Parts: sequence; structure tokens; C-alpha cells
Amino acid sequence: MDALLAFLTVFTQPELLLLVGLGTFAGVYVGAIPGLSVTMAVSILISFTFSWDVYPAISLMIGIYMGGVYGGSRTAILLNIPGAPSAIATAMDGYPMALRGEAGQAIGVTTVMSFIGGFVGIAALALAAPLVSDFALKFQPRDYMLLAVLGILLVGSLSTGSLVKGIFAGALGIAIGAVGRDPLTFAERFTFDLKLMESGISFIAVMIGMFGVSEALLQLHHVDKKSVRQTIDRIVPSLATVRKHLPLSMQTSTIGVIIGALPGTGGDIAALMAYDHAKRVTKKPSRPFGQGAMEGLVAPETANNAAVGGAFIPMMTLGIPGDAVTAIMIGALFIHGLNPGPMLMIDKPDMFWFIVGALVMANFFMLLFGLTGIKLFTKIVEMPRAVLIPLIMLLSIVGAYAVNNSITDVYWMLGFGVFGYFMRHYGYPLGPVILGVILSRLLDDNWRRAIISEREDLGRFFHGVFTSPLSTVLLVAVVLIFVSQTPLWAHAKARLARKDKA
Amino acid sequence: MKHFLLGAASALVVTVSAASAQDYPTKEIQGIIQWGAGGSTDTVMRSVTPHAEAILGGTVVMQNMTGGVGAIALNYVADAEADGYTVLMGAENPLLYKVMGLGDKDYSDFTAINLLARGTPILVAGPDAPFDDYAGMMDYIKAHPGEVRFGATGPGGLPSVITAMITTVEGGLDVISVPYDGDGPALTALQGGAIDVMPAVLGAAIEGIRAGSMKPLAIFDTEKNAKLPDAPIVTDFNAGYNTFLPWGPFFGVFVKKGTPDDVVAKLTAAYAEGAKNADFVELMDNRGFTMMGLSGADAEAFLAKWQQGTTWLLQDAGLTKASPEEFGIARPGK
Amino acid sequence: MTTPQTEHHDGTSDATPGGYDTERRPGELGFALLMLVGSAVLLWSAYGISGFQALSAPGSVPMATTAVMVIAALIVTLKTARLTLVSGETLARDILPGVVLIFLALLVGYALLLKPLGFLPTSALFLTGAIKILGRRGWGFTLGVALGSLVLIWLVFRIVFSVLMPAGIVPEAEFIQFFRTLIGGQG
Repeated sequence: MDALLAFLTVFTQPELLLLVGLGTFAGVYVGAIPGLSVTMAVSILISFTFSWDVYPAISLMIGIYMGGVYGGSRTAILLNIPGAPSAIATAMDGYPMALRGEAGQAIGVTTVMSFIGGFVGIAALALAAPLVSDFALKFQPRDYMLLAVLGILLVGSLSTGSLVKGIFAGALGIAIGAVGRDPLTFAERFTFDLKLMESGISFIAVMIGMFGVSEALLQLHHVDKKSVRQTIDRIVPSLATVRKHLPLSMQTSTIGVIIGALPGTGGDIAALMAYDHAKRVTKKPSRPFGQGAMEGLVAPETANNAAVGGAFIPMMTLGIPGDAVTAIMIGALFIHGLNPGPMLMIDKPDMFWFIVGALVMANFFMLLFGLTGIKLFTKIVEMPRAVLIPLIMLLSIVGAYAVNNSITDVYWMLGFGVFGYFMRHYGYPLGPVILGVILSRLLDDNWRRAIISEREDLGRFFHGVFTSPLSTVLLVAVVLIFVSQTPLWAHAKARLARKDKA
Repeated sequence: MKHFLLGAASALVVTVSAASAQDYPTKEIQGIIQWGAGGSTDTVMRSVTPHAEAILGGTVVMQNMTGGVGAIALNYVADAEADGYTVLMGAENPLLYKVMGLGDKDYSDFTAINLLARGTPILVAGPDAPFDDYAGMMDYIKAHPGEVRFGATGPGGLPSVITAMITTVEGGLDVISVPYDGDGPALTALQGGAIDVMPAVLGAAIEGIRAGSMKPLAIFDTEKNAKLPDAPIVTDFNAGYNTFLPWGPFFGVFVKKGTPDDVVAKLTAAYAEGAKNADFVELMDNRGFTMMGLSGADAEAFLAKWQQGTTWLLQDAGLTKASPEEFGIARPGK
Repeated sequence: MTTPQTEHHDGTSDATPGGYDTERRPGELGFALLMLVGSAVLLWSAYGISGFQALSAPGSVPMATTAVMVIAALIVTLKTARLTLVSGETLARDILPGVVLIFLALLVGYALLLKPLGFLPTSALFLTGAIKILGRRGWGFTLGVALGSLVLIWLVFRIVFSVLMPAGIVPEAEFIQFFRTLIGGQG
């Protein structure tokens, strides 16, 4: 009963309701602008809400978080520039839809799917939090490493052009992620003895450069072309459309919850993995993937919003952040006199149910603001390119600077922007580069932890893998996916098919 | 509109002509936090600064500047004007930069405004570890050399100092050292069984200990801790630790050396007063930090002593890149 | 217009990267060679981190990935070299037309001026110049749009998100303090 009351707190207090709504609204815009990140917004809110009570402060943060994760899809669809890392996969099919004038439809589907994904995440948090967090704790360094390898195999499905170029791009991404002082030993890697290389290359700067500036440079080729007129009459997807994608969205939401709940992995990896999953299981997509497949929107958007609920699971049950935003929220709880940790659920169950309630509310607000503000957003793409292109460039610059208040990041961003421009021209896919940067540390750090733990003994390492059911399952998945991408597999399949006919 | 321009213009004139320290602060102050959002330095600074702002009558805009184990932030403040408008909010790490080969600057290039608080190290083990206290752990390690996995956070981090201490006092420690990004991820790994023992700061482990998901082996202090009265202290197991303890990581607010005295005085007064705020004191107490509130000569003495003790400890354990002697850091007791 | 212009391979969308399967574009071979050389340099640099010290050495993963880069770049270079140059495309018109070069110059100028001049003047110059060049509209339109959007960006980033871009020659902080005093009654 107390739990129910705590859950309903946010619905019964207009002030809290308003704050969640305000947060979600602001979040959509924060998420949509590349360079303004939810992490940044929430950490500023800590100072801003310092003197407030804990409930209003958390309400606002949750709103921003939920709205921000969703908002990244807006610019991904409309401009081919993901507003946040978790929207990278969304651009792959969302932007082709916008090129056909179907931006309204794409945004509508994205919104509804984010809503569904958000709900699955919240449901997992409310009903199965202890279970999921126990499972997440079981992941050993070797399991994280295998997960990273699994992620790297996504290069195959992220590079529609030449696979070799995709592999090159992915490896380049991993190398970019390794630049700077190694966080484990402080050894300098790829720094060429330059001071400015020591702090490494910000992943956000790479992303903004490759997607933002290079896209803007490409658009220069079409300055005088009329922008595509967007039809925005059919925004809310029909029930039949939603029902058709429901099975897929449930699968990808599950991916989102688990990846979100794992400490050290978040919505960005979840969205990419979900996209890959959709590509594998969808026999007949509405259009080929990469040319505006609806499934290519459903998968990443359900997954990244499900990851929000997922990220709260270890935070609420163990005091362990599921991602960067929940890490700051833990700090906020401390500042407001709470002690996040395994005891929080026992000492203050109200807090848990209040957060679940606020998340539900934020999810509804996201649906509301997602489906209503579209007209204004589509106007952005219809703006004259002569104004749009310089503005994208300026926003990219400010955004890259804002990540770590560093001019060096601006230089990197511009450098990668120009590099990405050439990569696009010569058929090198950009997705794998970002994938590589995201996964670089996950792979490198955990590989080293795993092998150090086994005293540099590969035999002991594999013994560990095969005696743990979790590691074995992950390894089998890695092998299967790898084999399915090699020509050998296609060959065998073709022969099987011929046999069937005969 | 006319008033607007007039006002703006006169504001400029005022700042140009009379930017004396008397009116400090005439503009907002940049607070550079050495570590990322959500970390303990970040939490501490974001919770004390609003109290100090109220007394100072100015605004402090706090920004996280990460990278290079905090050296990026330190160099940024060191490169700014010494006018009190760029403040460094940092932890203990810079005192080790020189010997670790991470940079050529440390707090000797800065004036301490306030050394806010000190943390207490604690040795914790996972719930399934086959030992329950420090003595049991040492016996187990002797019986199973090279088997126990210790968490670490890179050279110069708290775990490396504690393991160096154990090595020095016990004359050896044959364990596997598994590196993590910080004590948060390492303590998570501890609960999942990926590592067996972790030297951490008390505040990070306290909730886990209360919930029974970690076992306290020994507190690295000379006195029992009020937050964990049942946890044994390491000097009871081996009096040899008295030489090095009390020791702990700390947080402090700094300005570049050469900042006008009255600006330093104003800032010092503001932070001293702000740190006394009841909410802040309670927060620090909950996280197991010991309030220090040192400034001026006291702070300098503390920093010098800390640097001597720690750098030489690491030097003797063979963990440094360069000897403290090269930088004129004398061996303690000499 | 109902179909996206995928037939013109300019890599507008990431999912449909530019380039052709059977022909090479101007400059493509040069780019591939550059990648090959770059990868080799990185491999050498990765070897320098820790050599073949241990499986867990900080250089192990970098060495493995840069080795993959070298191999992939080599295959790409060989494949590209075998293709024939596409007809009807030139480097100057299809890859680096004048307007792109102008913008590259503008961006380099921006990067150089940002620190000494400060965010506001540099951005004002950049936006005005860029919109004027692209839009070919009157000065009123250009200045209005450029300065208007700059003020908006500045308000969002500087005031709401307190991102302190380099102030340069503009005493931003004093200015803001003046308004704080004006509104709050005290500093």
C-alpha cells in the first residue's frame, strides 16, 4: 500500500507533475541538439536544484533523461546528424525516410516505439529489479570482453557498402578510442609525445565531427537544391503498424533493458545491438535496411529507451550506476542526504516507487511532446540550406567544446569532420568508426583484466570461459555470428538450398 | 535601450578602471573540477560551493575537466590569470604527478584555499571470501601465493598506495593486481566476484558493508571509525602501520600562486564558512570523510607531509618513474 | 520527389556510402594509399607502446587493431588500384568544389581565431561570412539571421548550460555580472 502511495506521489502533486513535464520537454530539445547532452544537463541541474527538496529535483532530472534519450532521434531523422550517441542507428533508416518526405511518419513511429520501449524498461525496473541486478553482477571481465567482441561483429551489419572498408573503419575506431594515457597503467598510447594527445580523443567530438560537420560539408554540394517537402498528416502510426512491430519491439526492448542494466554499457551500445538484431530476424522488412526500413527505426528506439529503465536497476538496488546519467543521479541523491546503495531499497522503499512513478509520467509526457511538436521540427529541414549549414557547423563547434570545456576537442571535431567527408565520398562507412570508439575501452580494459586475473595464462582463461554458463553462451553467440558473416556460411546455405530443390 | 547600452558601457568602464581586489568578485568565478561528473570530488565540490557562494556574494560556475588523471584541469588553472577567477577543485593526485611522470606541476604552484576533508582507506573483501579479517587474509595469501585478486586503480591511486604500505610493513604481498577505472567499478567487480579484495575509501564501501555485500577486513587508520565501530583497525594487527597512518585521500580548493592576498583571504573565509554548513557536514559524515578545513600555513604543512610520506612509500615499493629526490622532496623524518 | 537520390553516389546518407563498386572516384586511390601509410605508422607506434611484452600489456589491443587496419587498408588499396577511373568526374568538381574549399578555409580560420578573439566575435564573423557566401542575400538578411541565431545559441549554451567558451576580447563575465546585479539587486 505504501508502495502504491509512493508510486502515485508524482501523479497527485501538481508541482511534481509540472516539473516532470518541463524536464521531458526540455530533454527532447537537449537530446536533439548534438553537443547538448543529457549528462551535461543533469549535472548542471545538481547545482541548480541544490536547495530544493529531493522529490522535485529528481522529477526534473528524470524528465530530462527520458526526453533526452528520445530527442536524439529527431535530428538523426531530419538531418542525418544523431543528437546523441544512442541515435546513431536511428539515422540509418530514419534519414532515408526523411529524404522521401516521410519524416513525419518516421518521427511518429519513433515516438510510439520509444514509448513502448520506455515502458518495458520501467516494467523491468518495477517488477524484476533485484533479479536483473543479480544477473548483471554476474558479468565477469571476460564476459564484458565477449560482449564487446559481439558488438564489434556488428560492423558487418553497419557497413552496407564494402565489408573490408567497414572492417577498416571499425579497427580505426578502436584505435581512436585507445589514444591518450591508458587509464589502467598510464602508459602513453598513440600520443607521439604530444601534450595535447594525452587526454585522448573525446568520443563525442568524433561523433559530432563525423556526422555533423561532414554532413554539412556534403550538403554544400546541394545548396541550391530545394529541400524535400515533408508530409506531416499521418504522424500517429496506425494500430496495425504498431501491432505488426510489437514482437520485434519486445525483443529489442529486452536487449535494451539488459545492456542498460550492465554497469559500463548504455543506450548507445544497446541501440546498435538492437539494430543488428532487427536486421537478422526480420525476413521481409518494409523496405531494405538502410533505405528507410521501419524495422530499422523500431529496434534502436525501443532499445535505447528501454535502457533508461535498465540503467536505474543497478542504481536503485545496488547503488551502482548503469550509465553516465545514473552516476550523476547517485551523486544527486547523496547531496540530498540519501545514501544510495544496497540498503536504499530497504531503508527508503518510497524513493524507489517514487522514481518508478516519475519515469512512468515522463514516458507519457514524452509521447505527448513527441507527437505534438513535429511541425516545428520539420520546418528546420525546410529551412534554406544557406542558413542551415553554417548553423550546423557552429552548433557542432560549441557542442564539441561543451563536452569537456576543451578547445582541443574542437580541433579534433573539425579534423574528423573533414576526414569523415572524404570517407563518405570514397565509400567508407562511418557507423563502424563510432562503434569502434564506443567499444574500444570495453574491449581493451576487460580483455586485460580477464587475462591478468588468470595470470596471463590462456589455458586458464579458456577454462574459465567454458566453466561459466554465461561466458559459454556469449562465446557461442560470437562464433555463430562470426560464421554467419563469412562467405563460407553463404556457400553452405546455397548448397543446402540447392539440395532442397533437388 | 539607451539605459541598456549605458549600463553595459558603464559596467565595462567599472571593470576596466577598478578591477581591484576590494570588489572581488566583480564577475563569475570559474570552478574547475578535476574529475568527472558524479565522482566523489564532483559531489563534494558541488555540495560545498553553493554555501561558499552565498557568503562570497558571487557566482561560481563549476565545470568538469577530466583527462590525464586530473593533470588537464591542473594545467588549465595554472595557465590562467592569478586573479582568483579561476579556481581548481581537486583531490590528492597532483602531489604524485612529478614522481609518476604525469606532469611537472603540483600543488606547490598553488595556494590552498581550503583542504576540506580527508577520506579513510579500508580493506574490503567480497562476501564469499575465505577470510574475515586482515590477519586471516594475510594467512590465506601466504598459503595461496599469487592467487588472491586485489583491485587496483592504476599507479598512484589509493589502492596502489595501500598495497605499497602492506608490502613495506609485511615485507611482501604476492597477489594478482587487477586494474579498474576507479573504486566504483572495482567495488562492483568485488560484489560480482571478479576480484577478492579491494582497498577503497570508506565512504565508497560503507553502504555495501552495511548491506552485507562486502566484508570489512581492516580500516587503515590508527583509531576506530565512528561510522563502522565494529570494523577492526589495521594497527591492531600490525603496529608497523603506525609509521604511515593516518593517511588518506583528500579534497581541496586551490588558486594559482600569486593571487592577491585579499582575494585569497576572501575566498578562504567563504569556503571556511561554507564548509561549516550543517547539511554539508552531515553529507561528509555520512560518506565517512573526516573534516579538515585547513588553509594557509597549516594546509602547506599538510600537503608537504603528505607528499613526502606518499612519494617515498611509492618510491620504496618501486612504483615511481622518478625519485622524489629529483624534485627536492625529502625522505620523511630526515 | 519520392525517391532519395541514391543513384548519385555522394554518400548523403551513411547507410548508402558514396563510391562505386566497379569504378574508382578521383582521389580514391590516393586516399586508400594515405590510409595504408597511416595504418602502418599507427602499427609502428602501437608496437612502441609495449612491444610483445605480455598479453595484458597496454599495447596488445592497439597492436592487434592496427594490424587489422593495415591488412584491410592493403586489400582496399589493391582492389581500388585494379578499378578504372570513373568517367565524367573530376576532383575539383565532384569531390572538392570551390564552395567546400571555401568552407574548409572558414573552419580553419575559425579554429585559429577562436582563442585569441573569443567565441562571440569569431562566430559572428563565421556565420555572417558563411551565410553571405551561400545565401547571396542582402546584408540586412545576412546580419539579422547570423546575429540573431548567434545570440540564441549564446543564451542557451552560456546562460542556461554555463558552457564557458573562450571569452577573448569580449568581457562576457563582467557583462553577465552587471545584469545579475541589475536583476538581483546585489552581486
